[in-house]
Amino acid sequence: MDTARLKESFKRVAMHGDEVALFFYSDLFLRHPETRDLFPVSMAAQRDRLLQALATIVADVENTGRFTAFLQALGRDHRKFGTLAGHYEPVGASLLATLAHFSGPDWTPELAADWQTAYSLVAKIMSDAAAEDERVNPAFWEATVLSHEMRTFDTAVFRVVTLDPLSYQPGQSVAIECDLRPRIWRFYSMANAPREDGTMEFHVRMIDGGALSPALARGLAPGSRLRLGPPVGALTLAPGSARNVLLVAASTGLAPLKAIAGQIAEFTDPPQVHLFVGADHAEGLYDLPDLEKLSADAPWLTITPCVSADPDYPGERGMLPDVVARSGSWADHDAYLAGPTPVVEAMADRLASLGVAPGQIHVEDFGWSEPCP
Amino acid sequence: MPVITGTENRLTPDAVQAVTFPSARLGRRGFDEEHVRAFCGQVERELVRLFNERTSLADEVQRLRRRVLGLSGDDGANGYQQDDAHVQAVRILSNAQKTADRYVADAQEYSRQLAQDARRRRDEILAEAKSHAAMMLEDSHGEASRAAEAALAAPVSEPGGDRRELEAELAYLRTFSDVYRTHLHAYLDALLRNVEEWERAEKTSLAAARASLPRIPHSAPPDPQSPPPTG
Repeated sequence: MDTARLKESFKRVAMHGDEVALFFYSDLFLRHPETRDLFPVSMAAQRDRLLQALATIVADVENTGRFTAFLQALGRDHRKFGTLAGHYEPVGASLLATLAHFSGPDWTPELAADWQTAYSLVAKIMSDAAAEDERVNPAFWEATVLSHEMRTFDTAVFRVVTLDPLSYQPGQSVAIECDLRPRIWRFYSMANAPREDGTMEFHVRMIDGGALSPALARGLAPGSRLRLGPPVGALTLAPGSARNVLLVAASTGLAPLKAIAGQIAEFTDPPQVHLFVGADHAEGLYDLPDLEKLSADAPWLTITPCVSADPDYPGERGMLPDVVARSGSWADHDAYLAGPTPVVEAMADRLASLGVAPGQIHVEDFGWSEPCP
Repeated sequence: MPVITGTENRLTPDAVQAVTFPSARLGRRGFDEEHVRAFCGQVERELVRLFNERTSLADEVQRLRRRVLGLSGDDGANGYQQDDAHVQAVRILSNAQKTADRYVADAQEYSRQLAQDARRRRDEILAEAKSHAAMMLEDSHGEASRAAEAALAAPVSEPGGDRRELEAELAYLRTFSDVYRTHLHAYLDALLRNVEEWERAEKTSLAAARASLPRIPHSAPPDPQSPPPTG
């Protein structure tokens, strides 16, 4: 397999942009109409993802470690979409047909053989990882909504229970799909540490024009069915750290941090935990009663709600980084941050400038699967 | 010099998308970054379009070349025609998919605008109500204070400072509640009128929307000129 030739060939094909993915999916759906049901109505985001994944694979083709890790994750990840071992062959055929189509006269038997070899390798790593995962985990977890409440006009809190046990680390997330928006998966964090009864709490804020969040916030009711993907995410409590803990949550970024606080509550000798919860207006502090319950018999837990856009708010006022900065010295803390990306970035920068070491600042790394609105 | 990544000297859409420009030195005039970005986007799309046009022309050449070969008595002609039919089918399905994508994107954009407008209106209404409430309180307090002063100043038939003070307080409270109640009445009346107006407007706009619903043609392609729904 001539990797330089592959890269060169992919570069030429990729010049056709979106048309490449468009041709690939149309070819696949025409030859195997049953695969159409695995995808959402709108394919625009899907096509971007395919091209990105192909570019990553081709770029890393010589870096065996990264290449394999990426494909294994991709193979496991595809199980929840309903991908089966039998799908890999038709996908390969359509991929080769697409590459042939866009390569035109450059498509030689040698190049075709190289691509066939490369794809077989990709398919093998992905389907092996999927098969491995299948021995331990279901493709997805069926869940039923137990309760659903609107806390503000655009923020809902709902509780679910899964049919099969789902074990996860507090702070992690799962992709969620519901019948209201078939084949659209978005990540949400569990807002509690794992419980005996298997119930989980999720916080969802409606994104204007969002693909899934309005349906979850407004459309769910007790009894609604959801499908949950496997737990992912690295925003979890640093093991064995003796430092005190700073949690900074903006909006529904509260969910993963509440789960971490819940985990610490189970410790026999909990560290001091200071949780800052920020919102624009007082009503955006949608979970205060619950948090107060959590802190009522927890002398180790301090909760500071703060509001940025209401000059009449009686408590802490200002942007989260400012409020946190003036409320203590944090250099000897482990910090966990969650919320909208700009807020989290501003907060991380501020903590770094206050002397918190980079290794002590924990944020979620969404990587290639960052949920889009 | 702009930094263009990529090893070849051919400019690719990717390279245009990833191009970076150094910023102008302080105090020197530079182009608006937004405009430059927008223009790069336009160039990128145009490049993609040109590449695709080139590919379909190459296809056409291939097809014609095959036809010439087929006419010369080759028995592979049938296979080529099948291939052609498949590529045509792929094109048709791709166009249908693009149309579906655009409808979904339009619907999402429409819902985003509606939700944003609703959010803004909500904030305005809340702010207005807040300032109105403050005004009502202030007004009631003002009038009530004047009433209390008047009661204090009024001559009394029976002696006793306590009673005078109590009467002043009574006058304050009575006036306060009167003024406040009057304001509240006016405010609630206005709200009711608003709700009625809203109901009327909704009925008429629903009827109008139903009347203007397009009938879906059976075979005509979607009209690319038709604007996304607004208002």
